Amino acid sequence: MEAIIKMADINKEFKVLKRREGIRGSIRDLFSRDYQILKAVNDVTIDIMPGEMVGYLGPNGAGKSTTIKMMTGVLEPTSGEILVNGRVPYENRTRNAQDIGVVFGQRSQLWWALPVIESFRILKEIYQISDRDFKDNLEYYDALVGASELYHKPVRQMSLGQRTLCDILAAFLHNPSIVFMDEPTIGLDVSMKSKIRELVGRLNKEKGTTIILTTHDMGDVDALCKRIVIIDKGRMIYDNDIEHLRSYFGAYRTIQIQFDRHAEDLDNEVLQQQALEVEAWLRSEFAGSESIAVSMEENWIQILINEEEVHMMDVVNCIQKQRQIADMNLQEISTERVIRKIYEGGIV
Amino acid sequence: MKKEKRGFAYYAHIYKMILLQDLKSKMSYRADFIISTIGILFTDVAGFISFWILFQNFPEIKGWHYYEVLFLYGFSLMAMTPVQCFFDNNWNLMEALYTGNFMKYCFRPINLFFYFISEVFDIKGVGQFIFGVITVVYSWNKLGILLSFRNIAGFFVGVISASLFMIAIMNFAASASFWMSGGTSQLMILMFKFKDYARYPIKIFNRAFQIIFTFVIPIGFMAYYPSLYVIRPEEVTVLTYLTPFYGIVLVYLSYLVWMKGARQYSGTDS
Amino acid sequence: MSNGNKPGASLKRYAAVLRGSIMEALSFRASTFLRIAGNLIYLLIIYFLWRAIFDSSPVDTVNGMSFYDTMIYLVLAAAMFNFMDTFVVYRIGDDYQTGQIVLYLTRPIEYQPFLFFSRLGNCVISFFVTFMPTFLIVYFVTKGSIALGINLLFFVVSILLAIGVNFCIDFFVGIICFYTQSVWGVNIMKEVVVSLLSGATIPLAFFPEVFRKIVDVLPFQAIYHIPLHILTDKTMQLPDYMTSLGIQLFWLAVMLGISRLFWKGSVKGLTVNGG
Repeated sequence: MEAIIKMADINKEFKVLKRREGIRGSIRDLFSRDYQILKAVNDVTIDIMPGEMVGYLGPNGAGKSTTIKMMTGVLEPTSGEILVNGRVPYENRTRNAQDIGVVFGQRSQLWWALPVIESFRILKEIYQISDRDFKDNLEYYDALVGASELYHKPVRQMSLGQRTLCDILAAFLHNPSIVFMDEPTIGLDVSMKSKIRELVGRLNKEKGTTIILTTHDMGDVDALCKRIVIIDKGRMIYDNDIEHLRSYFGAYRTIQIQFDRHAEDLDNEVLQQQALEVEAWLRSEFAGSESIAVSMEENWIQILINEEEVHMMDVVNCIQKQRQIADMNLQEISTERVIRKIYEGGIV
Repeated sequence: MKKEKRGFAYYAHIYKMILLQDLKSKMSYRADFIISTIGILFTDVAGFISFWILFQNFPEIKGWHYYEVLFLYGFSLMAMTPVQCFFDNNWNLMEALYTGNFMKYCFRPINLFFYFISEVFDIKGVGQFIFGVITVVYSWNKLGILLSFRNIAGFFVGVISASLFMIAIMNFAASASFWMSGGTSQLMILMFKFKDYARYPIKIFNRAFQIIFTFVIPIGFMAYYPSLYVIRPEEVTVLTYLTPFYGIVLVYLSYLVWMKGARQYSGTDS
Repeated sequence: MSNGNKPGASLKRYAAVLRGSIMEALSFRASTFLRIAGNLIYLLIIYFLWRAIFDSSPVDTVNGMSFYDTMIYLVLAAAMFNFMDTFVVYRIGDDYQTGQIVLYLTRPIEYQPFLFFSRLGNCVISFFVTFMPTFLIVYFVTKGSIALGINLLFFVVSILLAIGVNFCIDFFVGIICFYTQSVWGVNIMKEVVVSLLSGATIPLAFFPEVFRKIVDVLPFQAIYHIPLHILTDKTMQLPDYMTSLGIQLFWLAVMLGISRLFWKGSVKGLTVNGG
């Protein structure tokens, strides 16, 4: 099977302004400016197959949206080769746009003051969707999420969840082969999140649409994506199955401990101090193992260890020698934790 | 198979759809519509009062009399209507670029400028149009201009051509936001202010400004040159006859610049 | 304007807001340069327009105004417009429509003075970027027709009062947007009324008797007419200056009072209806 998106050695550079500080700096900026070359995307190579659902992850400013903009033909790469549906997107922006859909979690692309169904009708004309396809899709949407209840409401009167739902439906209306989604579940409550995830999952399966999903929400990734691509500072640092990632970190465990029965009553600073102490003890005891990381989360001191390097019991004993542990928990590593680990440490 | 090229009929059809829908939804903001229309009428009445006060103190300006200048004023108000009704979204361009909302216009298989501009249709300008018509009719009458085919046809061709200049100027001004970071609505405000001088016969300015108002910021075409054909046929210049062609060329150029800016903008956003 | 318990502390707060707004205004380089350029072009247009108008007149002085007087008056009015046009109405309308306004109520800083100081930065920049250069150019172009004496001191005080009056009117009009849902329309009405009746478009001296009488009992003259009159009228004596400033002070007090009352009443409505 031929890849639907092919990117080879893609680079993208931007010129950015360096601002000076203070009022004096602001005045100097009026007259002379310093620019800096920023490599937003650095040698990225990805192949995406038809029907895949890919989680595209990375911290803010990592180059995610720049990559998406290149795939949609909005940006031209500084160098490298890119093909979407067999076409070079920036040379055929409008032609490429006919075959893709885009969803932004934060901004609606529908006409603000119009009832949704009117937005859909305009989109029908813009994309020249046949009457038959249009009707089929509306019926399908109705069966999927009971969408017709929303059709006569203007977007500006909708809740964020309803708006997101409609935006997603609108993006699939012209049966695009690829849909790009940028944080579709941002700002939604738990039940709406799972509703949106279910919708996206079904659209992917039943329509066979390729979906590229950028998100910060690990719940989205866990629920939807088999494959994940991680980018940091413009470089691709991971591209593989999500299972592979989990197995790679299979030996990692998180130990949660509390020294006091009522840790939730303690000051944050006291807990922070305890965490630092724990870290110091472990550092001196297990000087050779670099995987140990101590952090604080909701009154718990969290210790991340790699069992191939140190044994859990040794760690617990080491701490116990210094101070009585009041409560303890043991956790498998979560995807979120794994990805944070990758962002922070660059383990690949 | 889907068509690659999209013609005039395609765009006209979509524009009509958006426009009708938009009108419908405007009705739900009736208070805003009425207040805004009155607001524009305020501006026009104030402009009228200013003229009146001016001519109370000074009976003529370099041979131009009250009713002639009033004619120019009404003419320029009518010529302002299309830019206000159909191209008002240019005022939102800077904000759209600043917040990144402009991106959403880039993902449709449709002309970018068309898609952006079609989003807003503003009927507030209609009140101004009516005021302009009243002013023109009133001064036409007072000046005793013949109601001949030549004059009426010349007048309408003149108004339509004149309206092209304001469209072009505002397109140019708006597209500056693509290149300059932030705060460039200043340029649009500036241009919008300059248009207020279109109501004076540019002949009264000195040579340098006559050239500027003809070729650099062509507000001379927004009332003065085309009006000559009706109110002072003996003073008509070649520029009067050139107005429609020059207008078309400028609108097209402003469209090219706008589109170039849009492409260039996407290249610097992070 | 501050009525906090510790004037020192709240003054510091507002100073921080002011500093931030100056830096923000400066960061828009293009805008700053455009303002300078635009102001210069405007100055030239006014010059040639009124030159032509006065050239066509059989007399040199019309209603006590010579060409130079008119020129100084109108050009400086345009430069002052940059202080006065601070988008306060838009800001309030926007804060209302987005529901932000309720957030401001929870802050330890009052909305009205907060808004005033966050807009004042723009005034400070405008003073240096447009007003000063314009003033100097006009001074030289009119060959020293502006008297440089005690009137300058009164002029500065008068401008500060004018900014205050203008802000209070803007603030008042901004709150009207709570009730009309139309920011743009309300704002344009205000702009037209203010610029005509304050003498910003045509000096009040040219107004016919009847108009003049109406304008004299309205607050708008305190914004452009009085400061510019103080600057240009060479016949004014100390008592005249005092009367003029007194009128401004009176309008400042009245408008401040009215706008605060209106604000208090409207906020009550806000908290009852939940925005």
